[in-house]
Amino acid sequence: MISLSTHIPIILIATPILVAALMILLRKQPGIQKVLSVAVSFVMLILSVILLSQVWSGGIQAYEVGEWGKYGIILVADLLSSGMVVLTSFVSFLSLIYSLDYIERKSLSASYYPLFSLLVAGLNGSFLTGDIFNLFVFFELLLLSSCGLVIANEQGGVTKSSDKMEATFKYLVLNMLSSIVMLIAVSSLYATTGTLNMADISVKLSAMSAAGTLPWYVFAIALMFVVVFGNKAAIFPLHYWLPDVHPTAPSPISAMLSGVLIKVGAYGMLRVFFLIFIDTLDIFKPVIMYLALATIVVGAISAVAQTDVKRLLAYSSVSQIGYVFLGISFGSIYGITAALVYLANHAVAKSMLFLTSGGIIHHAGTRDMRKMGGMVDSAPLMSLLFLVGAMSIAGMPPLGGFIAKLSLFDAGIGEQYYFAIGIALFFAIFTLFYMFRAMLLMFWGEKRDVEKYGEYSHHGTSLLMTLPIVVLALTVVAFGIYAEPLIALANATAHQILDPQPYIDAVLMRVVR
Amino acid sequence: MNNTLLSLTIAILFGIGTFLILRRDIVRVIIGLGVLSHAVNLLIVSTGVFSGTKVPIITDDGGHGAAEATGSIFTDSLSQGILAPIIEAGHHVDYVDPLVQALVLTAIVISLATTAFILILAYRIHEEYGTTDIRELRRLWG
Repeated sequence: MISLSTHIPIILIATPILVAALMILLRKQPGIQKVLSVAVSFVMLILSVILLSQVWSGGIQAYEVGEWGKYGIILVADLLSSGMVVLTSFVSFLSLIYSLDYIERKSLSASYYPLFSLLVAGLNGSFLTGDIFNLFVFFELLLLSSCGLVIANEQGGVTKSSDKMEATFKYLVLNMLSSIVMLIAVSSLYATTGTLNMADISVKLSAMSAAGTLPWYVFAIALMFVVVFGNKAAIFPLHYWLPDVHPTAPSPISAMLSGVLIKVGAYGMLRVFFLIFIDTLDIFKPVIMYLALATIVVGAISAVAQTDVKRLLAYSSVSQIGYVFLGISFGSIYGITAALVYLANHAVAKSMLFLTSGGIIHHAGTRDMRKMGGMVDSAPLMSLLFLVGAMSIAGMPPLGGFIAKLSLFDAGIGEQYYFAIGIALFFAIFTLFYMFRAMLLMFWGEKRDVEKYGEYSHHGTSLLMTLPIVVLALTVVAFGIYAEPLIALANATAHQILDPQPYIDAVLMRVVR
Repeated sequence: MNNTLLSLTIAILFGIGTFLILRRDIVRVIIGLGVLSHAVNLLIVSTGVFSGTKVPIITDDGGHGAAEATGSIFTDSLSQGILAPIIEAGHHVDYVDPLVQALVLTAIVISLATTAFILILAYRIHEEYGTTDIRELRRLWG
């Protein structure tokens, strides 16, 4: 009798890949595809929650694929990775339900379901893997599948397909370059330490550091990883692809990209820098901090001037990921706790805002905010939900964003980074401004007839589109009102990140078959 | 000598790739990415060890005795400076590193998939925009 509970890490990766293959075979039966994909996505959500609770109560789980010990590929579920997997499963489940009505039927059956499953597999894989080359493989998996999803057609066709091609080309070229940089870094690490297992690399590098023989090029490798994860997370000098790609993607995919995919960069930074490159952190903490501050400034200023609602949200994502990296760069337990709380809150609130903007675009038939107006009468539910999301991103008290910003600024003041906190606080006010400017433009003002809103406004928002947004909105409110469980989880995770010994023990205390 | 030649080849390939991805033609950018990925593949291969003559197969008897031609797993022992799983540091290298070949194979397959995708994308861009000049691709302002 195989005990299911010990095999959850591999199930979370293998099932979506299998489902992706099944979906291609079932493309003539859209009904079965629909039921199967939603059911599998729900089961994955439950399994990821079970995994998180197992890790919470039973410590770090290491799963050997093929029983090769540390020489093979190991999947490691610690609090950080299992928490990120829960976040992925939650957002992807709701995005999938939303896209049933949002994506065009033909595109949905032929390519959307398989690629979405592969995207989930890539995300789960890159969070759970304990092998740095395997991380590269999963990065490529999620890069290619997200490229295919950005091109997917939405109903109504608000975005021109030439725009999608252009955005995907920029995305793909920049990310191929970053994966080339990552391969250089990984192979240099392999040449330095002779292993690809992250825990093993960590042991060997800290042994070299203790002996005083840490080679100089380890710093160069660490810098390459800053570039790689910075490109994934779109921090300052590498953020130019994001405001093109996230708005042109269909709304549920924008929600996945902004909600989860850019967090892969933050996850990678936490994992690689606090496990492998601990000894280089003294040099790289200020680098990450100033890049984060520049990201906050550039994102916030650019967002103010936008007229396209999804482009505004995309620039807001750039600005908000800067706050996450700011928390990471403090490097203290409280700082990382705040960064993780911020990350979870931003993931939920921003995916909610992108899904809402999809509803608004369906209603208005345009993405230009100047052509909208008075929607508080014609689409009252959407305006309420947008208000909840906007207030959370801006950091208003009853909602999750307030707790996140409060703990981040508190951590910064406790660490006496007054300059950084000053800049971050000043541009938090910008966040408030651009979010409510969008609010005023779209929902208030002169009421316009629905007939003026283009030919697709009759499509309306169906129940399947509204329900996921409502669930996400309730989560945002819950994160604000009852934030203790999230903060406790983030705090335990931060303790685990800053003390990598249990992780190393869980991975290395194994015998080869 | 051999190593110098290999390093020079990798360096020249990186140079050509970087030059090509800075061109204005989309197809040249894609060829540049291909050249860069091959440069990286060579780099990965060069991190392995070729001077050994024995095959890296692990046997039960730990490489001693009859199976002289095969390798053995060294338990990591940092005090003795043993780092890699199969090669004993400080000793004459007897075994070919098996891992880099697996890595480079994976990297080649992945770059094949991405290159195929980006070539189709370039074709579609040519259909939509009527040009392969990258300066024309600016309907979206980043």
